[in-house]
Amino acid sequence: MAENRREEQKLWLILFQIKAIRMRLNLLVLQYWVFSSLAVLIAGGALFLWAASRLQPLSFLLVAVTAFSTAIVALTRIARTALHDRASYARAALIADDRGALKGRLATVQALATNPPASSLWQYLLEETYGLRSEFEPAQIEPRWLSRSLFSLLGVCAAIFVLLVILSRSPQATPGPLAQGGDMAVDLSDLDIRPADPSVKPNAHVEADSETMKQLSAKAADAARHQNRQGLSSLMDKARRLASNLQDQVTGNENKLIPPIHLRGVNKPATAPPADNAAGARSGSAPTNANNSSPINSNGAGTTGQSDAKPPAELGGSQADQMASNAPGMPAPSGPNQKPGDPSNMGTSQQGGAGNVAGANHSGGSDAEHLFGAPQEQTLGSDSFHMTVDALPSDEASSKGAPGYVPPKVQVPLNSHQAPDEPLARAEVPSDDRMTIKRVFER
Amino acid sequence: MTQALATNGTEPATVAEFAQTFRRIQAEVRKVVIGHELAIEQLLTAFFAGGHVLIEGVPGTGKTTLVKALGLALNLSFNRIQFTVDLMPADITGTRVILSDNEGRREFSFQPGPIFCHILLGDEINRATPKTQSALLEAMAEMQVTVAGVTYPLAPPYFVMATLNPIEMEGTYPLPEAQLDRFLFKVHLGYPGEDELVRIVGATTAAPPEPIVPVFSAADAAPALERLKRLVRDVIVAPQIERYAVRMVRATQPDKSRVIGDLHSPLHVASVTQYVSFGASPRGAQALILGAKVRALLDGRANIAFEDVDSIAAASLEHRVMLNYAAHSDNVEPSSIIADVIKAAQANR
Repeated sequence: MAENRREEQKLWLILFQIKAIRMRLNLLVLQYWVFSSLAVLIAGGALFLWAASRLQPLSFLLVAVTAFSTAIVALTRIARTALHDRASYARAALIADDRGALKGRLATVQALATNPPASSLWQYLLEETYGLRSEFEPAQIEPRWLSRSLFSLLGVCAAIFVLLVILSRSPQATPGPLAQGGDMAVDLSDLDIRPADPSVKPNAHVEADSETMKQLSAKAADAARHQNRQGLSSLMDKARRLASNLQDQVTGNENKLIPPIHLRGVNKPATAPPADNAAGARSGSAPTNANNSSPINSNGAGTTGQSDAKPPAELGGSQADQMASNAPGMPAPSGPNQKPGDPSNMGTSQQGGAGNVAGANHSGGSDAEHLFGAPQEQTLGSDSFHMTVDALPSDEASSKGAPGYVPPKVQVPLNSHQAPDEPLARAEVPSDDRMTIKRVFER
Repeated sequence: MTQALATNGTEPATVAEFAQTFRRIQAEVRKVVIGHELAIEQLLTAFFAGGHVLIEGVPGTGKTTLVKALGLALNLSFNRIQFTVDLMPADITGTRVILSDNEGRREFSFQPGPIFCHILLGDEINRATPKTQSALLEAMAEMQVTVAGVTYPLAPPYFVMATLNPIEMEGTYPLPEAQLDRFLFKVHLGYPGEDELVRIVGATTAAPPEPIVPVFSAADAAPALERLKRLVRDVIVAPQIERYAVRMVRATQPDKSRVIGDLHSPLHVASVTQYVSFGASPRGAQALILGAKVRALLDGRANIAFEDVDSIAAASLEHRVMLNYAAHSDNVEPSSIIADVIKAAQANR
């Protein structure tokens, strides 16, 4: 009787040790599941956010779908692995047998504990296994308390932190000149209008006189007709739109409207002489230059000084740099020597070509390097260039009887590379040269 | 001279006693058999498991020497039958002959054949006709011989060792599957290595080697060995080990050989499907478990481990697998099939 009791105690101790091993193994499996799933979720989320903030809509959609699918597969596999690795009592005994080199003793005892066999060797097996209990201490079978999967989670967090640091140090994109809104003079005959990317929402109001708006509408309709998208293209457009909406929702970006763009249509025949610009001047528009290499002219030139003229748009220093380096045709700021409404300025602008305009614009001070801007990669035509306006025409501001166009006055401060020109000092003409100069002028 | 073991036939043997006896017999056999360590161990394992052994080897590799040495070490009665094509079943089992007593009365009396012994060596068993070969079936499976309607029991322990010569195939009769299945193990005796051959040459061309000392006395041998064999049956097998052995056996059976409703097998071995026409029978699973039990006792354990099953799987299953024509044309051996089966089973523990 006492021997049976001792035998039961030994069996209970063996089973208790197996139970402890099982708990430890399952704790690790649970950790693996939690840490690995978190790592996958965090990595996937980070990739999703990065793609939403940095990539084009279609690329974002592709990355998002890939990341989502990969995350689902990875989470499923992690869950399956965790379920597979979850230790039952039998499995815990098998693992302990394997790691403790116990050659199936624990598995046999565990399996037959509830229904011991009628074998003369059962007691021997219990004794032997009990004597080997130091070989299957839980700490010996599984010394770890923390799963190695924690390192994967930490690795993902570290990688995201490094990426955040890198991204925060990368330069931000500067808004283009169109984002400033304001007045523009556009040669409608040379204006190339294309349908906007479907992912770009309408974010600008273009105001112009009714004639200009009609022409713009006609051009837009024509462009839309030429680019009639069907089949896969239309699906791609839908995908772009969907991705763009999703991006906006993820990043919290609102569709900010840029200040209204006041457009002046300037129809120029291909070989129109400079005198034709008088029509533009009569309609209150800024005259185009003779070469008409730039359909968008300086807002500061040729203002009529009307009372409802808009205040001059202030440009920041970086904006001024950008504009200074732009090709001819970008809105050129007026120099400090130019007075708004000064007819002499208009004359200067009319007489000069592109370089002349630039010279007039930079009359307040220029240096040799930045006078004509950096060389452009895009090759331009000899007499015109294409400009794409990502905007939809609107009739809102072109009602009949609307006041005439008054270009705003733009005052641009000197950029960091510019210095004010020093006035030429009047010098005394030597008496010997006076006769020579007089002869030259008389000739 | 080593003292023979004195045993008590009523008390159960212990695990330590089993291992000790096994090692002693092994050591005695090694006195005359040089090399073939694995073969000796497999032979003894089969003996203690209560099975019979088919020994396959080219001539001159010590098959007969090995069997003789075992008989001497165990101190059991030993008979040898040289199988020939004209050997009749009665030459093996014995026959009834007319004998006259002192009073002149004549009556039929059974004259036991060489099959009545503890250890029987059937040399070149494949030279006898299937009819004669089949004379061994009853003795091997049921430990009895029936002659003229009278059944004669065989005295335990009973152990049959048959040898096969694999190279002289002309005029031979391959053993029928039913006969093959009754052998617990098939043991291969290959050519000895260089060092072993040097030792063989030295030992057999000089003075006679040290004689084999029986481990048991003649009177004690049979009961002592039966006691140890009972211990083998007492070794504990966990359910998962039994299932492991069963899966291994089922993995040797191609799907097409299964009965309807038993098509599912957790182990699928491509080479079995391709090259095997018939797999191992339930006797294969019995052989695995019994052999594994002996291995466990030798290791001082009262339970079987997976490793025990793996270690005797090749000897237990190779001769039970019937290969098809594709295997013969591709020179595929049963050993490679069983190796695949063992790998698959290990991967699905």
